[in-house]
Amino acid sequence: MSKEIIVSPADWEPLDIENDLREKIWSTQRTFAEDVWFRFSHKKSAFAGLLIILLLMLFAFVGPYLTPYSFDTQTLDFSNIPPLMEVTNVDDNLFYITANLKVIHVGNNGKLLAALPKLKEDTAQKIIYYDFNGRELPLSYQKKPAAILNHEGKRLRRDNKVWNTSYWLGTDGLGRDLLTRLMYGTKISLIVALIATFVNMTIGMIYGGISAFAGGSVDTVMMRIVDIISTVPLTLYVILIMVIMTDGFLSIIIALSSVYWVTMARVVRGQIYSLKENEFVYAAKTIGSSQSTILFRHLLPNAMGPILVTATMMIPSAIFMEAFLGFIGIGIAAPMASLGTMCNDSIQALRSNPYQLFFPSLMICIIMFAFNYVGDGLRDALDPKLKK
Amino acid sequence: MSKALLQIENLKTSFYTQNGEVQAVRGINLELRAGEALGIVGESGSGKSVMSMSVLRLLPDNAKIKEGKISFNGKVISVLSKKEIRVIRGKDIAMVFQDPMSSLNPLISVGEQVAEMIRIHYPKTGKTEMRSRVLELFHLVKIPEPEKRYKNLPHEFSGGMRQRVMIALALACKPDILIADEPTTALDVTIQAQILKLLANLQKELGMSILFITHDLGVVMQLCSRAIVMYGGMKMEEGSMEDLFLHSRHPYTMGLIRSIPKIGQDKSVPLQPILGSPPDMLNPPAGCPFAPRCPYARKICASQVPPYTAIKNHHFSACWLVTEDAPATNNPFAQSSTTA
Amino acid sequence: MKLLEVKNLIKHFPVKNHKGQVVHAVDDVSFHINEGETLGLVGESGCGKSTCARTIIRIYDPTGGEIIFDGQNLATLSQRELKPIRKNMQMIFQDPYTSLNGRMTVRDIIAEPLIAHKIGNSQKERHEMVAQMLKQVGLNTEHGTRYAHEFSGGQRQRIGIARALILKPKLVICDEPISALDVSIQAQIINLLTEFQQKEKLTYLFIAHDLSVVEYISDHVGVMYLGKLVELSESKELYKNPLHPYTQGLLASIPALDIHAGKITDKAEMSGDLPSPISLPSGCRFCGRCPYAKKICAEAEPPMKEAAPGHMVACYLYS
Repeated sequence: MSKEIIVSPADWEPLDIENDLREKIWSTQRTFAEDVWFRFSHKKSAFAGLLIILLLMLFAFVGPYLTPYSFDTQTLDFSNIPPLMEVTNVDDNLFYITANLKVIHVGNNGKLLAALPKLKEDTAQKIIYYDFNGRELPLSYQKKPAAILNHEGKRLRRDNKVWNTSYWLGTDGLGRDLLTRLMYGTKISLIVALIATFVNMTIGMIYGGISAFAGGSVDTVMMRIVDIISTVPLTLYVILIMVIMTDGFLSIIIALSSVYWVTMARVVRGQIYSLKENEFVYAAKTIGSSQSTILFRHLLPNAMGPILVTATMMIPSAIFMEAFLGFIGIGIAAPMASLGTMCNDSIQALRSNPYQLFFPSLMICIIMFAFNYVGDGLRDALDPKLKK
Repeated sequence: MSKALLQIENLKTSFYTQNGEVQAVRGINLELRAGEALGIVGESGSGKSVMSMSVLRLLPDNAKIKEGKISFNGKVISVLSKKEIRVIRGKDIAMVFQDPMSSLNPLISVGEQVAEMIRIHYPKTGKTEMRSRVLELFHLVKIPEPEKRYKNLPHEFSGGMRQRVMIALALACKPDILIADEPTTALDVTIQAQILKLLANLQKELGMSILFITHDLGVVMQLCSRAIVMYGGMKMEEGSMEDLFLHSRHPYTMGLIRSIPKIGQDKSVPLQPILGSPPDMLNPPAGCPFAPRCPYARKICASQVPPYTAIKNHHFSACWLVTEDAPATNNPFAQSSTTA
Repeated sequence: MKLLEVKNLIKHFPVKNHKGQVVHAVDDVSFHINEGETLGLVGESGCGKSTCARTIIRIYDPTGGEIIFDGQNLATLSQRELKPIRKNMQMIFQDPYTSLNGRMTVRDIIAEPLIAHKIGNSQKERHEMVAQMLKQVGLNTEHGTRYAHEFSGGQRQRIGIARALILKPKLVICDEPISALDVSIQAQIINLLTEFQQKEKLTYLFIAHDLSVVEYISDHVGVMYLGKLVELSESKELYKNPLHPYTQGLLASIPALDIHAGKITDKAEMSGDLPSPISLPSGCRFCGRCPYAKKICAEAEPPMKEAAPGHMVACYLYS
């Protein structure tokens, strides 16, 4: 060693080490949940997913209290109005012409003020005269698109673009606010998915837990039943159940939760089966702990990780399933909105009003992505192999 | 004295985890001479495996060699690219691991796997020549009925036989150095004895150097002429087997030897264990890593890393108590260090 | 006085997908342990020593034979009937990582036996007992609130010991309690076990593959090979005068911590591998690897015989 260290006599005093210090654990104390959270929050995609889910919840559960509309408030005059309106400027007054030739007075701030009353129609010239504060406003529909004519009978162009501030996302064919319906739709979809997943998880845990814990022939019979159920496509089951029952909120939940537990039951059974061979379970057995202690204190808490991951992954598929049912017309009953029924409603006017399909499908995408990322993050965070 | 075939200078390797930096190896110097069997002894977490994996850069992605120079045959290999080091792997320096099953492809016959190894480094070898060379290797590692076993899959072999296949695989390209990382730990004593004997004989016959990494002092004693004792990512003591076992100058080595019961030991005398637990390499002790568990520890041990002191030729110890001005009270090395 | 007597214990496991075939994990094993003594069981992996232990404590149900503990035959009792007996018979496991439930605090882990057997009137009283136990194994009360994964291997094993000993059992089965630990930690655990034995007059069934440790801790040692007990004797006698060729080979294979023992290249080795426990050789199970095998060895299994006073061996060389 080239470096010279000067040692003073005091340095040669014996080092007193208490046994407590020798046995001290240097790592910071962290429970399992804290440990999982630590790893979860360090994964950006998962954290972003969780944030989005929280925002969605806020949107779906608090949002409806903040809008002036309800999911079924219809204003037939204001049907099929898009979020971004092309308006005509007549003497500093803005007018929006709807697809069925109505003229709506729009404020400068983008508020929809009123639909103008019709005075008369000249079918030969193809001109409709509307009344605007006592003034005649001619609308020509001879050429497409329809246009308002000025004093000289010249077509005015729709050259101003204004954001719709009365209905931020526009309205549907019945003049209902799309934003409000999206909030209700998201709420319904989330509730259906969460309840269905929770029910699935409970049934799956009980079924799989009993099957694995009992073992032997009980296990064989129970798992063969699961096999039989899963040979028929699950979508078919759901549709059949929905057809038999009256459509509505409850029947959707029943349909979804009576079928998807088979996946969960398999996961739980696999987990418990492998955990059963662990020495800590043998230890509980030799201690003389009761069967329920072994199942509920030892086996299930340790199987919780994969169960939670499977459950998180089940939520997006439940949302998708619900949307699918709504889309084919056997979902939530009108006028209640769900993301699927909203998509269904928009199909008829898809060409002229694509925004009506765009927003609910975007919402479905966001929800699916968010839950999948969270599930992914949870799986990584719970994976014991990544520990240390 | 023969020249150094493999030289490691001031090697520092760390793992970067979410909890922080785990300093697995903290400044190791080592010299492996041609034709010698050098033992590296240490407990789990002492950094012995990480050190050997650093040589061939077989480290996982979150590990990094922070500092140090590794040279093979006078050529610095620590600066080579991953591609260049692959040429050295297997051909000049080969490795045998603890778990042979995870190192073998379960779907390819063992003969083919050994042949593949030769093909990587000598692509022009003909088919019949290849086969005869593989059979020769199987014969060398004493696999019975090599012709019949050539086509077998790894799972048809017992643990001991699999380890023989691994050794054949390592020897396929006649390497100069064999790094054996706990090759017998997963095996039973009787099988361990067979493998150890095989390795010892092979080393003698082929004249290669072996770096033998193990936690078992007894194994090192049977196979190696010289050994390094590691603890907490650092070298504690280095010397011939005799130096270490009969004239140890480090409390850790002494403690290890004392804590193992020997056959015929008096049962009424309790064993002398080393108290405490190994250090947490996330926050390693500032001074000597063994200080918190050392029965002779002084204040300086907790604050300063001890110098690497030569006791005599090729016998070194990293302990403050063997330094020149260490006091004699409660010092197991006091008397002999003055005479040495 | 005999605390545990095992008579002709048999445990066979059915082979999956092969009806009728069985793994002969434990075959006709008999031994006894006197109160306050330690019996060591050694053998290589797959010899059935751990299965033997697990069958005695009824993790597995025996295929045949008797397990007489404290005058009662455990082999025929149901799990419900076993429960009060479990209080007197506890087990320490091999792997300190999987033998503790990672979702429970150390205090809950050690208190579990107390709750199972309704010992202690209140939670406070039980925590008091746990704290006392933690102190006895060299840990402190604050450690109780932590989770098992925060501890080192040696500390975990001490937690496992605390859990087994808090009920003050008569018999403790130690299933390779030190083989997963570092060398510097092994002695701590051995000392802790011997300390408890002296203090509480415990009886141990100590299972290990490390022969030197077994010699140190045991009064009697049994050597197992492929489900059979091949030699059983007082520990000193066995190591001084091993009779069975397998025991001799096993002892010769230990890498001795002795500079004068000589290098491995000069030693004779035991050749061959263990045969499969499913299709066993017809005669002596060691026959294929035995350097002294005779014709009779391949034909019939040798019976256990007393070759020297108190020294039982199953080998034709001594009949």
